Amino acid sequence: MASKTNEPPVTTDHHVRWHAGIPASVVDAGHRIKDVLTYSSAYLVFIAMVEVLTVHLVLSLPLNPASVVVGLVTFAVYAGDRIADAEDDELSSPERSAFVTRHRRLLSMLTAGTYGLAIALSITGGPLALGITLLPGAFWILYASEWLPTLGSYFKRLKRILVVNSAIVALAWAIAVVGLPMAFAEASVTPLAGVVFVYLFVDTFVNTEIPNVRDVAADEAVGVSTIPVVFGIQRTRHVLYGLDLSLIAFVGAALASGVVSTPVAAAILLGLGYALVLAWFVGRSAAPGRLAIAGEAKHLVVFALLLVFTTGL
Amino acid sequence: MLASSSIAVLLLFGSVAIGSSAAILAWRNRPEPGASPLVWLLIGQSWWSTCIIFGLSAGDPAGVVRWTKAGWVGVMIVPVAWILFALEYTGRDQYITRRNVALLAVVPALTVVFAVTTPYHDALYIQQAGVAPDGTAVVEQGGLWYAVAAGYTYLLGVLGILPILGLLSSGATAFRGQSAALLVGILTPWTTNILYNLGVLSPVGIDPTPVAFAVSGVAYLGAIDRFRMFGANPAPTWRAKEFLFDHIHEGAIVVDGHDTIVEINRTGADILGIDADRALGASASSLLPLDDRLETDGGRDFLTIGTEATSQSYDVTATELTDRHGETLGHVLTLHNVTQYLQQQQRLRVLNRVLRHNIRTEANIIQGYAERTTGATAETITQRTMRIVEISEKGRDAIELFEDAVSDRDTVSLAALVDRSLDDAAEAFPGVAFEAEPPDADVVVPDALSVVVNNLIENAAAHNDGEQRRVRVGAAVDDGDARVWVADNGPGIDDYELNVLNAGTETALQHGSGLGLWLVKWGTELLGGSVSFEPNEPTGTVVTATIPLERVDRRSYAPRRR
Repeated sequence: MASKTNEPPVTTDHHVRWHAGIPASVVDAGHRIKDVLTYSSAYLVFIAMVEVLTVHLVLSLPLNPASVVVGLVTFAVYAGDRIADAEDDELSSPERSAFVTRHRRLLSMLTAGTYGLAIALSITGGPLALGITLLPGAFWILYASEWLPTLGSYFKRLKRILVVNSAIVALAWAIAVVGLPMAFAEASVTPLAGVVFVYLFVDTFVNTEIPNVRDVAADEAVGVSTIPVVFGIQRTRHVLYGLDLSLIAFVGAALASGVVSTPVAAAILLGLGYALVLAWFVGRSAAPGRLAIAGEAKHLVVFALLLVFTTGL
Repeated sequence: MLASSSIAVLLLFGSVAIGSSAAILAWRNRPEPGASPLVWLLIGQSWWSTCIIFGLSAGDPAGVVRWTKAGWVGVMIVPVAWILFALEYTGRDQYITRRNVALLAVVPALTVVFAVTTPYHDALYIQQAGVAPDGTAVVEQGGLWYAVAAGYTYLLGVLGILPILGLLSSGATAFRGQSAALLVGILTPWTTNILYNLGVLSPVGIDPTPVAFAVSGVAYLGAIDRFRMFGANPAPTWRAKEFLFDHIHEGAIVVDGHDTIVEINRTGADILGIDADRALGASASSLLPLDDRLETDGGRDFLTIGTEATSQSYDVTATELTDRHGETLGHVLTLHNVTQYLQQQQRLRVLNRVLRHNIRTEANIIQGYAERTTGATAETITQRTMRIVEISEKGRDAIELFEDAVSDRDTVSLAALVDRSLDDAAEAFPGVAFEAEPPDADVVVPDALSVVVNNLIENAAAHNDGEQRRVRVGAAVDDGDARVWVADNGPGIDDYELNVLNAGTETALQHGSGLGLWLVKWGTELLGGSVSFEPNEPTGTVVTATIPLERVDRRSYAPRRR
C-alpha cells in the first residue's frame, strides 16, 4: 500500500458511448460508486486484504478477522488522509480534492466508523491485536496530522521529512499486515515471518515513492521532502532499482538458507521482477496514476502466483 | 478467545466501536472547545469496556482481576475528562489551568495506584468473588477508597452537568440538542453505575456501567454530527458576557438584595478607586454615597468623586434584576461619566442668561433711543431690535430644548399641548385662521414637543402672505408614536431651506434664514423622532413631526436595608 496513489482522469465522452442504453439513474449511481472507490482510495482496501491473505498463505495461518480489520483500517487511514490533505491536493489531484471536500462530512463519519469497528473487532484477537490495529492510526497522527507540530517548533509533520515519511508508512503497514494475522492466530515470530516483514516493508516503501514522482511539483509547493523532490526523477528510478534488487538478493538468500520455501520465493521473486519493470516506467509513463495502481496491484499478482504454486489452483 | 456471546458483551463491543468512532471525530475537531477533553473521555470509556472484554476472555481468575485493575485507568479518566469538557465547552476554560488539572488528577492517580497495588492493602480491594452462571469469574471491588473514588466521580459528574444544564433553555436549537445529547451521554452510564453500586442491578459477572457506554457513545455521536457540536459551539457566549461586562465604558456594579456588591467591572473599580476583588462582598452603601433620592423622586442625581479640581461626576442608573417570579434579586448600577455634560450645561446656562437678559436689556435701550426720534429710520430701528429679541428668544428656546432633552422631562397631554400652542398662535397672528384636529386618543408627551409645535405653527403663520391665511394643526397616536402635523396654504418652504436642513449643518456660504426650522429638527431628533415635509394642495406645506411614546423610568433603586 502506498499513501499517495492517484486515479487516472475520467474521460466523460467515453462513458457516454457505452452506457447510452442504460437508465440515467443507474449510470449516475455507477459513477458515484466509482468516484467513492477511486477518490477515497477504497480499492486499496481490497489490495490490503489480499496482502493479509498472502501472509496467511505464506505463514500457513488459519483464517481469522485480521484481513477484515486491516481492510477497515486501510479505508479509515487513507480516506482520513484524503480529508486532511484535501486542500494540499487541489494542485496535484483537483478532482479528488473536490470530491473529498464535497463529501467531507460523510467521509469523516465513515472513516471514524470503520476505524471504530476495526478496533472493536481487533479486541477479539486480544491485547496485541488491539495494539497493532491502533498502530496505523498512531503512525498517521505522527505522519500526517497537524498534532505533532503543535508540540513545538522542533517537531514537524513526519510527512514532510525525507525518507522518514515513506519509511513510517511502510513500517506501519508491514507491522499491521504481518503482525495482525499472527496476533489473531497467537502465532509465534519465526524467521519466515521476519522475511515476509522485510519484504513487505521495502516493497511498501517502493510503492510509496512511485506516486511521489508524479507529485513533485505539488510536494515541493507544500514543503514535503520526497526522494524525487530532493534527488530528481532519474536518481529516484535508480534508488527504486536498488531497493528492488536488494530485495531480490534478500529473498534469494532466504531461499538459499531454507527459511523460505521455493514456491513462496518464486512468487515473491516474480513479483519483484514485475516491480523492476514498473520502476523502469517511473518518470517515463504518461499515466503516472495508473503506474501507481499497477504498483499496488503487484500484490494481487504475488497472491495469484502463490495460490498457483502452493495449492496448484 | 472470547467465549461469551451475551447481549452485554455485544453491547461492550458496540460501546468500544462507537466510542472509538466518536473519539476520532472529536480528535479531528481539535482545537474546537471541548474536543480534546471529549477525546479523553471517550478513550477512558472505551478502555474501560475493552478491559472488561479482555477480563471476560482471560479464562482465569487472575487474568480477570488483572484486567479489572487495568480498567481503573479508564474509570478515573472519565470524570476528570468530563469536568474539563464541560468547562471548555461552555467557555469556562479560564479554570482549566495546569495546577487545576493536576489537582483534579490527584484522586484518580491515587485510585489507580491503589488498584494496581491492591494485594498489599485494603483501601481498594479487587478480588474474585465467585463464578457467574456462564462460567466467568465474578470480581468483587470495595474498600474505603472505592467509596472515595465513587463519590469523587459522582461529584465531578454533577459539577460538569451544571453548566451544561443552562444550555437546555438556550434559544438556539443546536445548543439545546447538543446539551440534551450530552446529558443523555453522561447520565446513562452514571445512573447505571449508581444503581449497580446500590445493588439495584444484580451483578451478572460484569460491571454494567461500560455496557451503558454504548448509549452514551451514540449520544455523543449525535451531539457531534446531528447537532454540530463542534460546528456551532456555545463557548464564546459565556466569555462574551464577561468581556462585555469588563470592557464597557460605564462602570457596572452588581449588588444583591442586601446591598452587597457581588460583581464589579474594571471601570467601576477604577471609578471608585478600589481593587475589584476587595470590593466584592462590601456594602454598596459604604462605597457609593447613594441615598434614597434615587428611588423617591426618580430625578437625576449625580455621584461626584474626587477633589474640586479633578472631580468627576457620574450619572447613576439602577436596573432591577428579578427572578422568573418577578422577585427582586438585586440591581445593576451603571455609572456613566457626565462630567463633560455638566460642564456643557454650565456653559449653556451662561449663554441662556446672556440671551434672556443681556440682549433684551440692550435692545430695550436701543428702542428707547429710537423712540426719541421719528420717521422711517426710527421705525426700522425698532423693527430690527424687535427681530434681535426674537432671535435671542429662539436661541433661548434652543438651549432649554437641549437641557430638557438630556434631563428628566416634564410631560403634558398631547391634546393640551396642541390647544395651548394654537391659543398662543391665535393671539400672536390674529389675521390667520387656525383650525384644530385633536387626537382620537390622548397621550402624555414630553413638554419639549411644544417647542417643535410652536415653531411649526409660527413658521406656517408668519411666512404665509396670502389673502386668506389658513393653518390647520392636527395630532394622532398610532403604532406607539405621537404625530403632530401642521398644514398651511402659504407659498411653501423653499427647497434651499430644506436642503440646508437635510444637510444637518450650515456653512458660511450655505445657511438657512433663521432658527425656527432648526428648532423643529433638533427638537424631534432629541425626542427620538423625525420630521417630514410634504407639499400641500393647492399650495403650502404639510410638516409632520413624529416622536416615539415609549418611555422607561429606570430610577427605582432601593437597597434593601439589613
